Amino acid sequence: MVGNTGGYRHLLTAVVKRNLLMYIRYPINSLGRVVMDIGLFVVLFGGGTLLAGQAMDDSIEGIVVGYFLWMLTIQSFQGIAEEIQQEANWGTLERHFMTPFGFPIVMAAKSIAILITTFVFASILLLAMMIITGTWLHLDIITILPIVLLTLSSAFGVGFAASGLTVLYKNIGSWFGLLNFVFLGLIAAPTLNVPGIAFLPLVQGSELLQRAMSNGVRLWEFQLSSLLTLASVGVGYLLIGYLIFHMCQKRARKLGTLGDY
Amino acid sequence: MVNELDDSDPTHAICVDSLSKSFGSGEDRVIAVNDISFRVDSGDIVGLLGPNGAGKTTTIKSMLGIVTPDAGAVEIDGVDVYSNPKAAYKNMEAMMEGARNHYWRLTVRENLEYFASIAGENPAAIRDQHDDLLEIFDLREFENEQVRNLSRGMKQKVAIASTLGRNVNVVFLDEPTLGLDIESSLKLRQSLRDLATERELTVVLSSHDMDVIADICDRVIIMKDGGIIADDRVEALLNTFESSEYRITVQDINASSIKSDGLINGLNDVTEIEDCIQLEITGDIKTFYQVIEELEARDAKLIDIESKSVDLEDVFMKITKGGD
Repeated sequence: MVGNTGGYRHLLTAVVKRNLLMYIRYPINSLGRVVMDIGLFVVLFGGGTLLAGQAMDDSIEGIVVGYFLWMLTIQSFQGIAEEIQQEANWGTLERHFMTPFGFPIVMAAKSIAILITTFVFASILLLAMMIITGTWLHLDIITILPIVLLTLSSAFGVGFAASGLTVLYKNIGSWFGLLNFVFLGLIAAPTLNVPGIAFLPLVQGSELLQRAMSNGVRLWEFQLSSLLTLASVGVGYLLIGYLIFHMCQKRARKLGTLGDY
Repeated sequence: MVNELDDSDPTHAICVDSLSKSFGSGEDRVIAVNDISFRVDSGDIVGLLGPNGAGKTTTIKSMLGIVTPDAGAVEIDGVDVYSNPKAAYKNMEAMMEGARNHYWRLTVRENLEYFASIAGENPAAIRDQHDDLLEIFDLREFENEQVRNLSRGMKQKVAIASTLGRNVNVVFLDEPTLGLDIESSLKLRQSLRDLATERELTVVLSSHDMDVIADICDRVIIMKDGGIIADDRVEALLNTFESSEYRITVQDINASSIKSDGLINGLNDVTEIEDCIQLEITGDIKTFYQVIEELEARDAKLIDIESKSVDLEDVFMKITKGGD
């Protein structure tokens, strides 16, 4: 049971399976997500080509990578925030608190499940974007995967913080839309121009991912300081986000509002 | 009626000590639970009763550790819920009032497997246990049906089955029969009782339905204004109030004189029915014999004596209204 690896495996298997089943059991919503993401890109790409012409073609690789990372970020952030909001709404959140693993472990399992589905959706999107634009990026998994995971860690951190505020203040979903545009700004932010900007969520990861996917730079070819910055930002925001969530749920338990919606 | 705590008995599955919880501050402060203590023996089924706002749900949520109390301690199977929640949750599960507690887009069996698995159980290893639950709750033929397609009563059964879907010793059920029709409620009560006996479960059950408590529970804790005002075995509570109301029908006596002279102890009401009068008396057996003696002294002819039997609802009403 709990405490042995079998217990953790059963937990992870159950959470991943449930997540996939939910996508299958809400087929219109899942399909709509893919169509919307691709549709928005087509509009942006088509509009940009019409307006900017050659300039658009010159920066198309950067746009594809940026859009890919933006979608990954939004889906990771919203995935974890909406997950907790829905669990509270369905009355199942309290049951996730009352497991012998403790809530952090359950949330870690949920984050992994969200990452898996996010990667599946983002991979479909990336393939569609490359076909639409006729631009083929460098897809070195050994380089891309750690960069994306560390970059998304900060998005999960923001997601945890948002989830904590949701548990405490309930329906604050309208703020999530605003955050999506903040993410876009961070992904597009150039790291060299403003000192310290690399320590904001997503910025460093976006820079490294652009270089890896557009220019074919391998993981070991990056400066160690760049990778350390990426790792510290990812882990740091994840921890801060979880700490905020922990404080919020503690406060909600004191107020007796945990699970209320 | 409130039992003294006995710390010497090691078989307590639940120990609640000096639990207090208030919400708000200043003039808006509401005391939801006020310094309550009780023990639940292993294998006991205890009903938590009380009017709205009595503090039942806050008590249960505090016992589960999902509401942090202002003071007090709760132990489940000897493990402190607040200092060691992970160990405590190994042995407890709960179904909360008014919540779905499960996923409507998953099938019945998927729900049972999911909630057992997130507690670390191997779903394959406890498949037989789930089969039994599906049989007991008449869910076998719906095991592969998504819960959203089931009736309300069935959904309630899924909620309870998923709560009982792993190996625990202590189960909390908040309003398990809420919203069920009478037939479903009766079947569910029987299933719960059988299951608790078979698995030697310790159950804390909250309900507004006195019949549910009377049918399922061994013991009742009655709460009012955040405190415990009665705590006893169901039979003991019923016995305490049994025959405390009498309807005595007599002839050859003047009703107005009985009302005016005030010599009849415990007299609640006097009703004239044709050539008889009916006296409603409340009191213990001693009071009853005093009244009989008084009536005989007045040469009244006794026609009928009826002892009114009480049910848990009567007991509850008497106890909760006693302090008003």
